[in-house]
Amino acid sequence: MAVSRNTVAGLIGTLAFFGAWEALSRSGLVNNVMLPAPSTIVQSGWSLIVDGELPRHLGASLLRAAVGFVAGAVLAVLVGVAMAQLPLLHGTINPLVQMFRAVPSLAFVPLAIFWFGIGEASKIFLIAWGVFFPVWVNTYIGVRDTSPLLGRAAASLGARGWRNFAYVVIPGALPFIIAGLRISLSVALVVLVAAELAGAAFGVGYLIQMSQQVFRVDQMFVGLIVLGAMGFSADLLFERAVRRLLPWYGAERAGQRGGQIERSRSA
Amino acid sequence: MNARVEISPQIAVDQPLITCVDLGHVYDSGRGQTTALGNVSLTIDRGELVCVLGPSGCGKTTLLNILAGFVAPTHGDIRVNGSAIEGPSAERGVVFQDYSLFPWLTAQANVEFGLRMAGLAARERAGIARDLLRLVGLPEAGAKYPFELSGGMKQRIAIARALATRPSLLLMDEPFAALDAMTRSSLQTRLIDIHRQEQPTILFVTHNIAEALFLASRLIVMSANPGRIVEDIRVDLPRPRRRTSPRFNELYEHLERAIGLETAE
Repeated sequence: MAVSRNTVAGLIGTLAFFGAWEALSRSGLVNNVMLPAPSTIVQSGWSLIVDGELPRHLGASLLRAAVGFVAGAVLAVLVGVAMAQLPLLHGTINPLVQMFRAVPSLAFVPLAIFWFGIGEASKIFLIAWGVFFPVWVNTYIGVRDTSPLLGRAAASLGARGWRNFAYVVIPGALPFIIAGLRISLSVALVVLVAAELAGAAFGVGYLIQMSQQVFRVDQMFVGLIVLGAMGFSADLLFERAVRRLLPWYGAERAGQRGGQIERSRSA
Repeated sequence: MNARVEISPQIAVDQPLITCVDLGHVYDSGRGQTTALGNVSLTIDRGELVCVLGPSGCGKTTLLNILAGFVAPTHGDIRVNGSAIEGPSAERGVVFQDYSLFPWLTAQANVEFGLRMAGLAARERAGIARDLLRLVGLPEAGAKYPFELSGGMKQRIAIARALATRPSLLLMDEPFAALDAMTRSSLQTRLIDIHRQEQPTILFVTHNIAEALFLASRLIVMSANPGRIVEDIRVDLPRPRRRTSPRFNELYEHLERAIGLETAE
């Protein structure tokens, strides 16, 4: 089977990068405490796994991210749908939501720690807060801008009231909601790390922070790699799940509408 | 020629399905008024396959939208089955030019949609949908999503969907206009078959003279400024119709004149 030229080129580039790094660290030209060799990083990563420390940090981070993400997303969908359906509610709270949305969510880290301490509550709150806005704005737009043509088709087939809402409005808004959720995945990761760096007793962010204090640059790199892997696999799993659960998503109309999605400012 | 039909005050036992009296619609764009539909009066009997033919701006789509319940007429009276139209209803099925299938539903679920809204049980829905998919010649397409179907297949699914609730009236708004010539012609033949089998009353809007002549049992010609009926003829061509027959061409030329194409070109 033929391997594409790009694959080969990518492989060569990657190997060259890590090879050069390894050589540089071992050569003595740079301090190998400041820049540990890839092989050293792999070794310390392995020992962190074996002694159970990395799984513990990773578990804590994943749990926070998941709880915060779900809480923020559920609330955002509910508020977004309600605001799109009830003009009075929209009129009442829209200025407030827009105001809070304008503040970068990372700026709330010190406040959240002051209010909720360095325990789980502050982290979950911050993640939920960060996740809320992209999901909210996309849900609101998706429900508000349901296709008038499909609305007519549905009405001429007898759809009205809650059935119209459940079978036409919500599915029609799903491409927007999904886009919002996807943006929020990366937001959740950013906020998670910021919150853990600012103060925690567990977590991948804490691992990086603590390793810095004990001059374990190799462990800091392990933390960075784990975070990268978390973000990558979260996005991959999300995409797989969407493709599996909503096979129509991304095709036809959904694809065309995707381009218009207003991106919420990320954290 | 005036196509106005006089309505007798008492309703006969075999009353027409649709009765319009002095029906009109005026759009107010804020910068003046546009009369999309002047005073249109007509009756349509059950089982007719009526084609409404006319250039753009003649009010044919406005007439269809009023019948569908999407647009309320600004004046005049319109009755379907003896009662006034109050918004869209599954009683009046609509087939749109752009198909308007729900992209998140499979073909089968699209066909079942109206039945689901009516609260029918899943098993009954599936049975009806299967029959309709067979009727439109797509018995194998049930599990496919709209994005997996060609334009012609989508429109057949849309027709099946509109027929599912057994509407007394099927409104078709230039349904084949976006399709290529071969697909269009095969769907025209299929529509005639469906009409023969199911006997729905169909109001078919088109700007295509040949299409109207091929399909219609009755042909209503409309003209613009203001939108009005200029001719209302029974199409007596025997079926299956041949587009090359002398009578077909005679009528074609007559309709061209009626629409005013000859003077325009």
